[in-house]
Amino acid sequence: MKADKNRETRKKYITVRSFFEANRERFKLRLLNGDHGFDNQIKDRNLHRPGLALAGYVELFTFDRVQIIGNTEVNYLKSLSQEKRRSAFSKLLEFKIPCIVLTDSNVLEPEMLEEADRKHVPIFGTSFETTKISYFIADFLDDQFAPQIVLHGSFVDVYGIGVLLIGRSGIGKSEIALDLIERGHRLVADDVVNVTRKGEGILMGSGTELVKHFMEIRGLGLIDVRSMFGIRAIRFQKRVEIIVELEDWKPGQEYTRTGLDDETVPVLDVDIPHVRLPIFPGKNVTVITEVIALNYLLRHYGYDAAKELAKRLEGTIAEKKKRGDRAINYFEHDFE
Amino acid sequence: MVEVTVTVRNRAGMHTRPAAALVKTAARFQSEFTICKDSMEINGKSIIGVMTLAAEQGSTLDLRFEGEDEEQARDAVVSLFERGFDEQ
Repeated sequence: MKADKNRETRKKYITVRSFFEANRERFKLRLLNGDHGFDNQIKDRNLHRPGLALAGYVELFTFDRVQIIGNTEVNYLKSLSQEKRRSAFSKLLEFKIPCIVLTDSNVLEPEMLEEADRKHVPIFGTSFETTKISYFIADFLDDQFAPQIVLHGSFVDVYGIGVLLIGRSGIGKSEIALDLIERGHRLVADDVVNVTRKGEGILMGSGTELVKHFMEIRGLGLIDVRSMFGIRAIRFQKRVEIIVELEDWKPGQEYTRTGLDDETVPVLDVDIPHVRLPIFPGKNVTVITEVIALNYLLRHYGYDAAKELAKRLEGTIAEKKKRGDRAINYFEHDFE
Repeated sequence: MVEVTVTVRNRAGMHTRPAAALVKTAARFQSEFTICKDSMEINGKSIIGVMTLAAEQGSTLDLRFEGEDEEQARDAVVSLFERGFDEQ
């Protein structure tokens, strides 16, 4: 499997409008001045508290970030005379600030709000306290600026494990996904899987809005999994935990026989466990996929079958040196 | 590998019928076929993938073919786009 680096995408900016519209309810944002500057671009996922800039130190002022004005800044401004207060605020607005978030239900003088409006800097008020809203906004921006890649495959939640089936066109990914759904597992996306890196080392996969939970079965056409199998057969997003690559069986090709050698594949710089599965007629890939997921679960909970058997074997070899060499020494009285 | 950029010509854009025609044509060839539009990159042999693009009239798509019959595949697909999928 190759995940082409060039195909990764990352948003260059988001507009203040999309920031506001996506979060106005969740973050309880309220526009405090006019609706100028909604096309301002937020290009940085970090936030900034402009305390020092208000105090007059504007070197290294990261003005292009969302500015958070909290109790400290507001109290500082209050401590100044009206004239100095307004001039400190005007100085801040000389920079091209995308927008300001005023936290903890703080208020600014109407003259300052108007000044910001003239400079096309929207100010949003929220009742959340600074640390909380900073966390929310940083998480949102982190998500918005996260690298993304579109992968071709079927993505299914199998026993709570996100299994991404990949392989060449027509190898039967969708058919296996359908089989898994029929056995009670949940489809996340088929054919077009959007993968986003969340935080460090976590990949989230989802479908696209338009074709969500539709799939194509060769010879049959398009089906809608949600309306056919119901709500229990789908989910909107899932962490990508294993990649199962389906391959045509080629004699001579080597595959792992013990499962001791962990193979991973990097996707968006995250190493994901990778299982290459040769397929041929009569092989029940669905059940094998379930077993892959269960085995992953077992390992996650600290039991590695391959390592366990290896350990047992070593023990038996060591024992044998001392004892006889019959495979089974004695059948108790149970000859069923 | 061969690459080519095409424009969607027919008025209705790449709706279901042209999408089906495109994947059917692509499926006749062995080559891998990828379509890029904006930041999306999808497998051109997948109807779901092609529909995801929701390509409207006038939009440009970058096509990429890779395989033994890549040139024949390109010619067949490009001709489909040039004919506007035999629609207006």
